[in-house]
Amino acid sequence: MKKLLLVTLVLLLALPFTALAQDQPHAGVEIVTNFMESGTYDIGAEQLEPGFEEMTGIELEIVASPFVVLVQNNITDLSTGTGEFDVISGDFWIGSVWNQMHPLDELMERDMWEPNIIPGLMLPGPSGYFDGKRIGIPYSADAYGLIYRTDIFEEAGISADWETWDEFFVALDALDAHLEGTDISPNVFAFGAYEQTPAIFLGMYDGYLVDSEGNYALDHDKAVAALNQMKSLLDYNPEGATGLSIDEANSVFLTGKAATMICWVSFVRADAQNPDASLVVDNWATAPFPGPGFPFLSAWNMFISGLSENPDAAWEWVKHYINEDEAKRRFVELGVGSPFLSTYEDPELIEQYSHDFPNMVHNLNRAESVPWIFAAFEIFFRHMGEFVIDAVDVETMLANTLADWSELEVPEGLVQSAAAQGQMQEG
Amino acid sequence: MNSPPSTKSKKANSGWHRRHDLPWLVIFVIPAFIIVVAVQFYPLAYSAFLSVQDWVLTESQVPKGFVGLDNFAKELSDHIFWRAVRNSIWITGGALILEMFLGVCLAYLTMGSSWRMRAIRTLLILPMVIAPVAAGTLWRILLNSRAGLVNHVLDMIGIKGPEWLATADGAIVSVIMLDTWQWTPFVLLVVGAAIASIPADLLEVAAIDGASRWKTFLHIELPLLMPLLLLTLVFRMLESLLSLDSIYSLTFGGPGYSTYTLTYYIYTLGLRSFNFGAAAASSWIFMLFASFSIGLVFWFQRKDW
Repeated sequence: MKKLLLVTLVLLLALPFTALAQDQPHAGVEIVTNFMESGTYDIGAEQLEPGFEEMTGIELEIVASPFVVLVQNNITDLSTGTGEFDVISGDFWIGSVWNQMHPLDELMERDMWEPNIIPGLMLPGPSGYFDGKRIGIPYSADAYGLIYRTDIFEEAGISADWETWDEFFVALDALDAHLEGTDISPNVFAFGAYEQTPAIFLGMYDGYLVDSEGNYALDHDKAVAALNQMKSLLDYNPEGATGLSIDEANSVFLTGKAATMICWVSFVRADAQNPDASLVVDNWATAPFPGPGFPFLSAWNMFISGLSENPDAAWEWVKHYINEDEAKRRFVELGVGSPFLSTYEDPELIEQYSHDFPNMVHNLNRAESVPWIFAAFEIFFRHMGEFVIDAVDVETMLANTLADWSELEVPEGLVQSAAAQGQMQEG
Repeated sequence: MNSPPSTKSKKANSGWHRRHDLPWLVIFVIPAFIIVVAVQFYPLAYSAFLSVQDWVLTESQVPKGFVGLDNFAKELSDHIFWRAVRNSIWITGGALILEMFLGVCLAYLTMGSSWRMRAIRTLLILPMVIAPVAAGTLWRILLNSRAGLVNHVLDMIGIKGPEWLATADGAIVSVIMLDTWQWTPFVLLVVGAAIASIPADLLEVAAIDGASRWKTFLHIELPLLMPLLLLTLVFRMLESLLSLDSIYSLTFGGPGYSTYTLTYYIYTLGLRSFNFGAAAASSWIFMLFASFSIGLVFWFQRKDW
């Protein structure tokens, strides 16, 4: 009798633990996730880590590295079969290893998990896809944007409703005339941050980026027109614009010395509304990014490594990190662009960001990623840099770019991404 | 009194010692030998192997196969490679000339052991202890054409400062200035120590014989300093050729390819494009180029100054 009582007691005591084990099927599993060391995405992850570990019993290790190191780590980890990371942060930069990622469709269907992400961001390109299967889910979204001084536009009687760069140049001419005799330039862009110049080119260019045979290529005539138009923007920039870094260009706008700025809006949004850092508080707004090209998209995706021994535990972390409330919190507290539609429909935020949200969502919906691997991007922006400083003419720049690109192979995942986004030559 | 050992017994003794010591020598030398081989020769041999392989990590997990000297031929016909060689020669050459000249001048100007001189020498060597990447960032701020201190000072004396980092020539000059600012103190330190070790009586004799200060420097001090100056030149040349972090943070190799050096080129090939075959081939070409330059310096050193 005593024994029976003892066994019953032990079973009763063990019951909660059994239930806990059912709630925590991955308890004790260790997973490694990586992020760019930016003080935003990585901090957001660190803030979630204790709660996630407590809730799931999974031991999470967060590895944060600077951008270039992160890309190097991801590519070498997957190419060499090391498998150090279970959950990987990346986008098209790691397109060469997309074939090594775990498909996510089945996991999403199994858990009936359908995040309310901006529709355009869930398409191939902004989202990682390989062989028609989803492999990545965006957890941030930022599109190249154009911001302008509402007070100056009002004074000059100009409205920021352009759709094309040609129309934007008409506005710049009007600004130029209106601002004559002042030290305010019609536009500012970080031409000295050479790796940023392709963003303007992509906005002005509506040709293909990959030819019909799957090689890096450009439509010659459209590229020449876009490159020349991009360079003509210098006429509206302050003196020395070809030496401006991102911070320096931002500072020109924040100190009220430019009427418009082409930039990553997320880099400047918080400072622009901070009276200690800005002279343009409440006097700026986000404008539509002109076409016929597209706003360059930065949408960090979470991927599960195909080498992960614990893809289910990794999936738990993906779902935990990518959720509406957290995205809103990261937007408000850390300035991370949210991929969730609900963030931009939040009444409180709409009121606070009325100058920013409508066109931001508009730009995000039009934004596209590019099918360039690091080497392709580097070749393009360096030759473009030569063109910007007048070291070569546009024809030489294009010829050199195409010659250097001919040595590269476009990874299959990025060929598919280009095709899905209409960036591939027809025929 | 002991009689000196005969030659025969000396030889026998030495033979015994050799036989007795040999196992110990082997035991102690072999670990060091293995470490040197593993640390130094294995990577060299492996990079030589890679240089004749077709291997881009993003395309294949393993080398695709032997391609002979194709990688070398490709690199040698690549216009960006030659641009990088030209940039390296300009930057290293320009920086070396300035550093050696200024280093020797400063060493003479700061000779002496008074507290003032010691304090000045300490101040002068400060740039050397700054991390190159931080030095690059610092100079990027200083050379900012709109708000940088350099152009501000030039403006104060009525000179319109150039666009340092926005033009090809300006960027090259900026990198040379940074290298000179950071590493002239190294030359100052070495030459300063060498000057202090020149026997005072030599200089006194020259003075008694009526030699001018310039002639004393040219005919006595410079020949004595020359071996050390050449050695310093070799050190600085290698350091400058291998420099990557300061250029990365100052100009990012740009604008365009304006400050793209050989080291930057190899870094990009290997760690951004993951083209290990081409990067290894370029590294070997770089090594031959550096070895030739060093050989040239040592050939000068053999000359009787």
